[in-house]
Amino acid sequence: MIRTNFWSGLGTALLAVVLLAWLIPTYGGGGFAIGMQPQRLATLGAWLILGCSITLALISAVALLRRSAPFIVMPNVGQLWHMLWPFLYVLGFIVLVDRFPLTWVAPLLIGGLLLILGERRWYLLLPVAVVPALGLYVLTAHLMRIGVV
Amino acid sequence: MIGFDAIFTSFSAAFHYQSITVILGGVLLGYIVGVIPGLNRSVAIAIAIPLTFYMSAYAAIAFLIGLSKGTAAGSAVSAILLNTPGEPSSAATCLDGYPMASAGKPRKALKVGLLASVIGDLLATLLLIVVAIPFAAVALKFGPYELAAILIFALVFIAGMAGGSFLKGLAAGGMGVILGTVGLDPETGAMRLTFGYAELMEGVPILPLVIGTLALSEMFVQLDEYRRNKDAAVIKLGNSADDDLSYGEFKGTLPTILKSTGIGAFVGALPGLGPSVGAFMAYGVAKRSAKDPDSFGKGNPNGIAAAEAADNAVIPASYIPLFGLGIPGSVSAALLVGAFMIHGIQVGPLMLRDHPEMLFTIFSGMIVASLLMLAVGWYGLRIFAKVTSVPPHIVISVVIFLCLAGIQVQGYGTFGLIVVFGFAIFGYFLKKLDYSFVTFLVAFIVTPMLEMNLRQSIILSGGEISILLDRPIALVFVVITVLMVLHLGWSSYRRWMQVRRQVPQV
Repeated sequence: MIRTNFWSGLGTALLAVVLLAWLIPTYGGGGFAIGMQPQRLATLGAWLILGCSITLALISAVALLRRSAPFIVMPNVGQLWHMLWPFLYVLGFIVLVDRFPLTWVAPLLIGGLLLILGERRWYLLLPVAVVPALGLYVLTAHLMRIGVV
Repeated sequence: MIGFDAIFTSFSAAFHYQSITVILGGVLLGYIVGVIPGLNRSVAIAIAIPLTFYMSAYAAIAFLIGLSKGTAAGSAVSAILLNTPGEPSSAATCLDGYPMASAGKPRKALKVGLLASVIGDLLATLLLIVVAIPFAAVALKFGPYELAAILIFALVFIAGMAGGSFLKGLAAGGMGVILGTVGLDPETGAMRLTFGYAELMEGVPILPLVIGTLALSEMFVQLDEYRRNKDAAVIKLGNSADDDLSYGEFKGTLPTILKSTGIGAFVGALPGLGPSVGAFMAYGVAKRSAKDPDSFGKGNPNGIAAAEAADNAVIPASYIPLFGLGIPGSVSAALLVGAFMIHGIQVGPLMLRDHPEMLFTIFSGMIVASLLMLAVGWYGLRIFAKVTSVPPHIVISVVIFLCLAGIQVQGYGTFGLIVVFGFAIFGYFLKKLDYSFVTFLVAFIVTPMLEMNLRQSIILSGGEISILLDRPIALVFVVITVLMVLHLGWSSYRRWMQVRRQVPQV
């Protein structure tokens, strides 16, 4: 956890720097204000993140140094892939949903995930994949009357 | 002030068959969600919010409160029969629930858990009604100075108490504040951090944010953990007469239930602590004050009663700061604020002035939900015991679909799906890196209110900070906040020094 804290502290500090140096000044809004400037609260929030994350990174760095523990340990590729594939899977379906209605894509989304997770019983796979999509169709096309989404 | 007639009217509305149907739906759904390990209250509420769009404001809130209460009671079933808590807060229930069920008394264990849940929930609901209204009446007299000071105090308190590192809690709060400022600036009309997207003009849409950070990210975490999970053996319910709860046995647990309800209600009323703290604290107190502390952890019904009563008492009590001051003290309370916002109602002390009937109807609905919880739990015991065997991969697949469907049904389109995906990644890292989720969400929700009060304070005072000396309540909260930051900083430093001396886990 100490190493994770170090890297997460460094990451959030970097995010805060980007916010303070570029995003908030450029996109934070401007104009004359009697009370508080539009950027003020966001800037305070970014300074809060910066202060906390730098402290966290420093404390964790000291702890790592005292234990002579390495700062970088390369994660296992298999583990990384296992963490990554669900995101890619859902992202792929978001791209599909941009082109086709979710109602048509849903059985593929659910069924595909079930197959990947090791489900091979067709009598379970089929209803679990189809019934939610059917429910969505009835809800949107017949009850809400907003068309197939 | 509200009269007897209004109270009577609110109860009539809550006991109307339509109202009961909605609450029953919420409790039932909540119970099922609670029973399924891996699905928690926040996920359930986040997914259910889109369903409430087409309900009236009262029906929507009653449904979500019923859902929230149902999950708390239902999570005990999987804790007792599977040794896997449906909610993290039911982990304390596993300690005695599973050994008792393994010893051939699963029905008895479930009934103790159910009765403790219902009593804890009902008493804490009554406490909420008694405390929140005077609280709100006082809060209505507060000006922008007091409200700004209280909101800052609440954020720091939640960051410190929500568990994990105080620094990470504050950083998460900072992220919530920044996201809370996105959109049109109310004073200058300037666009803030919208990057030219008209969809962000009114701020980051709350529904994609909560579905992404709570529900979808949780499914990614579940998928990551899925390969490590072993198939747990479910204990089946039998028909043995010895396995039924007698009145004498229930009476024996009553003092523990009452004591634990008090602990749960106290913990719940403090923003940020959450039901897990309440349940474990009550369990610890019950064990220490028992004549036979050694029997705890081996199937003592008082252990189940303590954990469940406190767990369920925390939820209604966590609405005290919400209805009294407008500060959500927990994730589920923050989600309720979102639901109120969607229906155009500002939750908090102003509800007492602007929508008193609704406030009372919600309170009455909460009592109805507690009673329905008993009926649903008692008669659905065997069915819910079967629900525990739903395989996690089915749950994960269907919930991912529901997350995307919730966004599509509300017409957010591709923009909403991208936002939900972005927040799912964000939520995943918050969870994995142990950044306080509750602080982030509460900061996001209260930032518009905080900004408005700060802005009014600056305008009224002309930028003079010495005005605080004329506002004693605001000054007290400012001083308490500073002292708390120092105290939490010092405690974190001492904890870090202690860890340094121990065997390292890098």
